[in-house]
Amino acid sequence: MVRVSSGIACICALAVLASAPVGAEDLGAEAMSGAVRLDSFSLPTAGELFAAIGKTGKPSWASQYREPIPSSYSSRYRAALNLGTLIADGFIAVEAQDGQQVKNTGRDIMALAKTLGVSDRVLARGKSITDFAEANEWSTLKEELEATQNEVKQAMADQQDQDLVTLVSAGAWIRGLQVITGVVLAEYSPESARLIRQPGIVAFLRARLGALPPRIREDAAVAVVTERLGEIEKMVSFAAPETPAAESVRALNEVAAGLVKTLSTRPAAAP
Amino acid sequence: MKMFRTFLRSALCSAVFASGAMVHAEGPSDGQVAARAAALEVAGAFSNDGFKLRDGYWSGAIAKGEAPVLALNLFAGNHYWFSVATTSAGTPVIELFDEAGRPVETEPWKDGQRAAAGFSAVASGPYFLRIRTGTGEAADFCVVYSYK
Repeated sequence: MVRVSSGIACICALAVLASAPVGAEDLGAEAMSGAVRLDSFSLPTAGELFAAIGKTGKPSWASQYREPIPSSYSSRYRAALNLGTLIADGFIAVEAQDGQQVKNTGRDIMALAKTLGVSDRVLARGKSITDFAEANEWSTLKEELEATQNEVKQAMADQQDQDLVTLVSAGAWIRGLQVITGVVLAEYSPESARLIRQPGIVAFLRARLGALPPRIREDAAVAVVTERLGEIEKMVSFAAPETPAAESVRALNEVAAGLVKTLSTRPAAAP
Repeated sequence: MKMFRTFLRSALCSAVFASGAMVHAEGPSDGQVAARAAALEVAGAFSNDGFKLRDGYWSGAIAKGEAPVLALNLFAGNHYWFSVATTSAGTPVIELFDEAGRPVETEPWKDGQRAAAGFSAVASGPYFLRIRTGTGEAADFCVVYSYK
């Protein structure tokens, strides 16, 4: 029996223990379906995705900025999803090497983190992010942002808010998808378009969202994410040799952008 | 500057470690802690070549004769190094498979109880990482990865 200590994802209780027969040429279907899946390892960071797209051209990262979003939400689940999108915004600002935007985003992250009760732990990170931005330490900033993301998730796990970790991951990925499809569309090339093939990631997120308690799944923001991810999964699950046409990338961008906008918009108060 | 970066990376690793960013429900064993330190040491060498260390790890215990498998997602165009260390006396074996379960060729690196596999992803999508101890005996292990 393999015992795996899995970190945050283990606490989230979806890490599946698996082993494979030693010496086999190929992995069997059982080993693949039962493979361990960790938030902290199986899900690539936005920085990892942006590094890949950066090799296909010279993206105009600044063109992917968006208007500031509210710094508080009445639903903690909506706040967690938006916190994830803000972390992705931080990576965008770092890729753009825009110190002021990094600081602005860092401030927004802190504000939203505060509403979720996890700002204390990331306060020091916020300070170092500002310092590195002022010193133009872009490579270090990427690492610091990643560490910040983990710090936020760990703080949530520590206060028995493990479910929020899933929502932060989902928010970051959705915003990353919006950005990456926007970058591909701005200067379409087959190799950049193929980067949107991410079936494993959507499947992972959908499984996580499906495992959330009913009261969370019924939250309006979580429900819309769950629904749209089903649609997105079909769009990013094309076969490996295929190249999505610009129209397909545009359609995906519109879905992701619409979802990000829906999440960031405060629901109208009931009359 | 390089010394500063090295210091910073150490500090970050320490911070993550101390804060328990990768908290273990039961807490990592001494063997897993040692394996993680050894795996990070290997990854540190790749950092000197511009690879960024992913702020996360996979650790656990391998039972005798077994080999844990982890699913991950890689992007075409990125170059990856997966670094592993175990408490087994033999050199660990690290294997990568594509989404169909077919083994993919990796660039090997070995040194005692530590090993690494380099891989340039041509296709984006799911992959699987399998870890074995070189001797087939039970051991604690830890894997980290770097990318650029």
